[in-house]
Amino acid sequence: MPSTPSTLGDFTVLPISIPPLPSFPKSTTHYLYLRRNTPKIPTPNDSRSLFLTNCPVDSTDLHLRSLFASLVGPGRFESATFEDERKDTAHKLSPLDAAVPVNAVHLLRAHGSTKKRKREEEEDADKSREDEAARLPSTWTRPLRRSGSTAVVLLADEKSVEQVLKACAKLPKTKKYPEWGAGDVASKVPALGSVWLKQHNRLCYPDPATLQQAVDAFSAVFARREKEAAEIAKRLRNEPDEDGFVTVTRGGRNAPASRSEAEEARKKMIERAEKKRQEMEGLYRFQLREKQKEEQEELLKRFEDDRKKLEAMRMKRGKFVPEA
Amino acid sequence: MDSGPAKRRKLDHSQDGAEKALESAVSTGGVSRSRAFILEAEELLEEVRIDYKTAFEGADQLLHKIKGSIEAIKAQEPLPILEAATKFEKKSKIKIPFPDPQPPKNSNYKVAFAKPAQFNVVGSYVSKTMLKTQKDHSVDMIVVLPQEILQEKDYLDLRYFYKRAYYLAVVANALQKEFGSDGQLSYEYLNGNPLCPVLAIQPKAPEATGKESKGCLQYRIRVIPCAPEGFFPKRKLHLGASLVRRGRDSESETPAHPTAFYNSTVSAEGSFMSYLKLLRQTEKKCAAFKKACILGRTWLQQRGFGGDISKGGFGHFEWSVLLALLLQGGQKMGHAALSTSLSATQLFKAQIQFLSVMNFSEKACVLGTESADLEEYIESGPILYDFARGLNVAFKMGHWSAALLHQHAKWTRNLMSDSSADQFTSTFILRADLPSHTFDLFAHLNYSDVLDEVIGNDYSESRGRVWQLGSKVYRVLNRALGDKELGERARVIHIQTPEQPGWALSEKPKDQSRAALEVGVLFDPANMSRVVDKGPSAGATAEEKEECDRFRRFWGDKAELRRFERDTIRETLVWKSTTPFEICEEIMRYILALHLRIGHLEDDISFYGNGLVDLLSIKPADTTLYNVARKEFSTFERDIRNLDDLPLRVRQIAPVCPELRHASVKPPVFGSLKSGPQPMDCIISFEASGKWPESIAAIQRTKIAFLLMIGNLLENSKQGVKTHVGLEDAHFETENLAFLDVIYESGPAFRLRIHSDLEESLLERQVKDKTLEQYLRQRATTQLAAFRRLYTNLPLHSQMINTSITRFPALGPTIRLVKHWFNSHKLSWHFSEEFVELVVLHVFLCPYPWDAPSSPSTGFMRVLLFLSRWDWRSEALIVDSNGELTGSDRMAIATRLEAWRKIDPNMNHTVLFVATAQETSGTAWTAVGGEARPGKVVAMRMTGLAKAAGRVMREGGLGLDPRRLFVPGLREYDVLIHLNSKVVKSCLKTYGHIDPSEGSAGREGARFKNLDVVTGEEMLPLARHPGDVLMEQLERVYGGPLVFFRGGAEEDCVIGAIWNPGVGRRTFRTGMGGSYKPVKQRKGEGEEEEEKVEVELNKEGMVAEMARLGGDLVEKIEMK
Repeated sequence: MPSTPSTLGDFTVLPISIPPLPSFPKSTTHYLYLRRNTPKIPTPNDSRSLFLTNCPVDSTDLHLRSLFASLVGPGRFESATFEDERKDTAHKLSPLDAAVPVNAVHLLRAHGSTKKRKREEEEDADKSREDEAARLPSTWTRPLRRSGSTAVVLLADEKSVEQVLKACAKLPKTKKYPEWGAGDVASKVPALGSVWLKQHNRLCYPDPATLQQAVDAFSAVFARREKEAAEIAKRLRNEPDEDGFVTVTRGGRNAPASRSEAEEARKKMIERAEKKRQEMEGLYRFQLREKQKEEQEELLKRFEDDRKKLEAMRMKRGKFVPEA
Repeated sequence: MDSGPAKRRKLDHSQDGAEKALESAVSTGGVSRSRAFILEAEELLEEVRIDYKTAFEGADQLLHKIKGSIEAIKAQEPLPILEAATKFEKKSKIKIPFPDPQPPKNSNYKVAFAKPAQFNVVGSYVSKTMLKTQKDHSVDMIVVLPQEILQEKDYLDLRYFYKRAYYLAVVANALQKEFGSDGQLSYEYLNGNPLCPVLAIQPKAPEATGKESKGCLQYRIRVIPCAPEGFFPKRKLHLGASLVRRGRDSESETPAHPTAFYNSTVSAEGSFMSYLKLLRQTEKKCAAFKKACILGRTWLQQRGFGGDISKGGFGHFEWSVLLALLLQGGQKMGHAALSTSLSATQLFKAQIQFLSVMNFSEKACVLGTESADLEEYIESGPILYDFARGLNVAFKMGHWSAALLHQHAKWTRNLMSDSSADQFTSTFILRADLPSHTFDLFAHLNYSDVLDEVIGNDYSESRGRVWQLGSKVYRVLNRALGDKELGERARVIHIQTPEQPGWALSEKPKDQSRAALEVGVLFDPANMSRVVDKGPSAGATAEEKEECDRFRRFWGDKAELRRFERDTIRETLVWKSTTPFEICEEIMRYILALHLRIGHLEDDISFYGNGLVDLLSIKPADTTLYNVARKEFSTFERDIRNLDDLPLRVRQIAPVCPELRHASVKPPVFGSLKSGPQPMDCIISFEASGKWPESIAAIQRTKIAFLLMIGNLLENSKQGVKTHVGLEDAHFETENLAFLDVIYESGPAFRLRIHSDLEESLLERQVKDKTLEQYLRQRATTQLAAFRRLYTNLPLHSQMINTSITRFPALGPTIRLVKHWFNSHKLSWHFSEEFVELVVLHVFLCPYPWDAPSSPSTGFMRVLLFLSRWDWRSEALIVDSNGELTGSDRMAIATRLEAWRKIDPNMNHTVLFVATAQETSGTAWTAVGGEARPGKVVAMRMTGLAKAAGRVMREGGLGLDPRRLFVPGLREYDVLIHLNSKVVKSCLKTYGHIDPSEGSAGREGARFKNLDVVTGEEMLPLARHPGDVLMEQLERVYGGPLVFFRGGAEEDCVIGAIWNPGVGRRTFRTGMGGSYKPVKQRKGEGEEEEEKVEVELNKEGMVAEMARLGGDLVEKIEMK
């Protein structure tokens, strides 16, 4: 095999040797690509973090910790955040965010964020606590990473970053690639294979009490939000918006009508109109005549269509020859 | 046909152009539903047309030369037949093809040779109605024997045929000398009729003569000696006459058997010219006649019919004569049955209609008069009597071929009245004579031991002894299986007699008594499974006694008296077997041995057609198991409905899994200890309520609370019920999050999911909401599709399959077989079970050119045929079980498919398109999460595999081991992951209180079973099958670079994978999906050489990863 390049664009190549397994008795090499982390929205920790791509699918915190320890010695590795975990936060998958009543979302969006944000930090902390309580238990002991996915590794300091990159640059010369899952990593992380699948099945059936708690926590938050939304709606009825218009909402004195009710009313109206239209059909002679004309045109069109289809079939030869 | 064009004209005289187009439409057969059929038929006519000039180049010259040489033969003085024969054979080394029995030693009549009275070219060469695709093309030339060498009495005792044979031999001798060098001469039977040998001259292949072979056919010329017209008196040749008296001399007191076939052959010998005239006249009178004949010929050919006796004796000639007679006046009331102004397709359809109404083997059909009554002769064979020419046109048919022809005509008529089916392809293109597709049971009779015993030296049947035996077999089987009193077990019984090939001039015809006789049976599924036959009741009256006697005579010792309800005592037959196939086999073996002594030895009769059913060991008892499952389900439903404290009233609990619709590969079995319970899916819906929260996420949470509550209530109210709330593998809070597994101690387990209608309207609103972000709308769209699939379509689908199962008894087993096929070829991971069920159902609903399959094996074969022919790129599969879809609905579906193909020509999102009456979107079962499932590659693989299976079947014939159709081709996969079956099985067992990671160490330690913690512990149900979970994970992780294949969840322990061909070497970027390794790439030359680093898939690295994540599950991984 020709020597592997040590860099790939602005990435440094980190080859990792993979020990053979009984089911695939062949030692192979995996290539990890890393560079300094430079996200579009900078964070204070950027200088001491590394951006990794092409992570092995069975990567865990521990795996990476042992990998970096073998490169630059222990104690430099702080934590790793994997792509799917980051996406979770980016896409706001917390159950609490989902727990906003639809009409509230709608109203808020229509009216700009009128909600006064008090004590934001305090609220954030509250939120993460509630979030945790409402979250359903995970069904996996160890999630797999998508093949070729990325991760951000936080190291102890800037110097460690330098050292890691340097160590990687040296590797192609020495050919002494670090080993994946070296040491006692395997025994520390949850096992894959059959145990992993069994655990999954087991975790799919959580304790009913836990489940009930999560549901309760969620409903509590949801009820609060709903109340808030109702208040906003009520307020909106009387408050003019930027242009000076007052939103007129349907409903009684206490609460606006739910959207589904409004939709149903609309449906009914359309139905009524449709019925009326149907009754009127075929009443006059000119209508009948037009209808017949239309039918005839339709027939002609279909005739043409058939001919076209036939042309198309003729293109595909063999359609018209009886099978032997 | 056309509902009055005059009326239409009145309406739109303003539109000239439109009217013209309309008129053109009318002229091609009217603006009717069958437009496409007409156009396609025109196309077919164009396609099969032969250019006679090039195809039969030199034929005319050759005919002239032959005529010349025959005329040049010197006349011979009359000599006694035996003397002449010996002399001739000695001199010329040519055998005289005397029909059996050979001329008797003591015959003293004389044979002579004189110049033929007349020559003529007849048949489809003159009428130009041959097909390009027909098997062999022949030009028929008749040579009329001169009257002076014949005597009127010659119609008796084969004398005419002996003279004819001698005449033919003399002609053959002369032509052999003349053409022996540039052609091949041989004898053959005219239409397989052993009385009429003819001489075939095959000109040397055009290649040999160095001519241009383009468009030139391999034709041959047949020289057919025949009798002068009207030479033999017609009244002597009527169907009831007995004209072969020899060979039965000893028992001359017994009334002679009528020799219907012999008589008709003699008549036919003298009527070549009159039929030629009839056809020429009709051609002139009716413009479309020829085309209708070509269409008819195609139709017959695709169904295996031909003029040859072994092909049913109804070929092109019989078709055109019948059509000509129908077009002629002199029918009822003096009118012609058909108008000469009809178009070719109309004539064709009319003739099909006629054939579907008339069954020649049941009622004599006489054309040309009303007075003739021939009913008494129907025993001897089917009758289609042309009164004017005094010939039974159907004389070469057997009862079975007439019945089959009638059946085919009926099927085609059904097809013609079904406007939604593809009428053209089924009528003219598909082969409908493949025994494995047509018959439920097929048997080979080996009769050589019994032929002499049963038939002896009886030559009264001129079609030969094998044919005679076949007709006996048919008579016995028809009585046994087609008894209307008992309830017809078989719809069609068909006998295939061996074909007689041509033979060399110097030889005797090859003996066919070694070839097997083939019997095909098409079941009536409702009756074939009957185990007890109730015969006539044993009463005291003479009539009843005779009935019973007859019954006993036919059935022998098998008949016994039994007492039934209401004290009736009846003659009864009890069969031991259980499946329809086995019962049929048992009956056939018994009755053939009893009456014809065939099958005393086991290998005298070999049966085919059950191999597939055996393969899956489908038993009638399976139905009971499915019914048990259904019953358990109703118990479960009642238990839920009886819960008092539910806040909402239950509206419906609908089953949605294959086990509860008779469609799972294996029937449901409860209480197996080998795995955790595998619950059956059900959907529960409640009465409409305003209490559901107006947020999808909140609805999902509320459902969990609901499930917890139902579980609690059930456990409290019922003994022996365990419930578990399980979590789905959901990615978003807005998806369904949980289900409830209810496990009965007695074994059955059910999985409940809650349907909330508000969820649907909220999702719909999100999809329509234009102010929402695109990705959210996208997500809502896929979630809405998933919602509809699970809560709307699945219950309806289950219901539809369940009703269809009762309508078609063979549907359930066929579905199971086809699913097994998908499993064996590792396709089932990509195809939803519902899709497979719909495909099978379609084959039952649109069974053309046959009727709905009546056994799983024919069903399976036809499903494969359908899959191999389905052009899913441009055709939508429309399954309409109740005929609810109108023509415009179907058009709309087709338009939708077209639109999809326009938006997505590479077929990334939609590949297979399957619409039903309830679900017209077409993608409910063939797309998941906005992605086509199966993808294009997999769909193509399905088609390819079905085509390959069809090839194997055609090559293997009947004796094909059906297992061959189910062998997966493992070599085609790039990566093969072999799972350890033991470990997979162990994954089926999980326990609530035992952590699997603690391993089996603790268990092995327990020496005593009763101390083992596992014993007595309840197993958790399986949330999903571990095999499926593994596949899902693999697909999630490696979805881009690899496509995975696996069969059914149960046994398949080999996962196949193929590298995506689109993922090759490329430049590096992040998030490519897949593991890549850097490769140096040299570009340019010499000094400008520049090194560029690219990446390519790190295949070995990925396989090593799979080995790691599979752990102990994976036994080994093979890589190409």
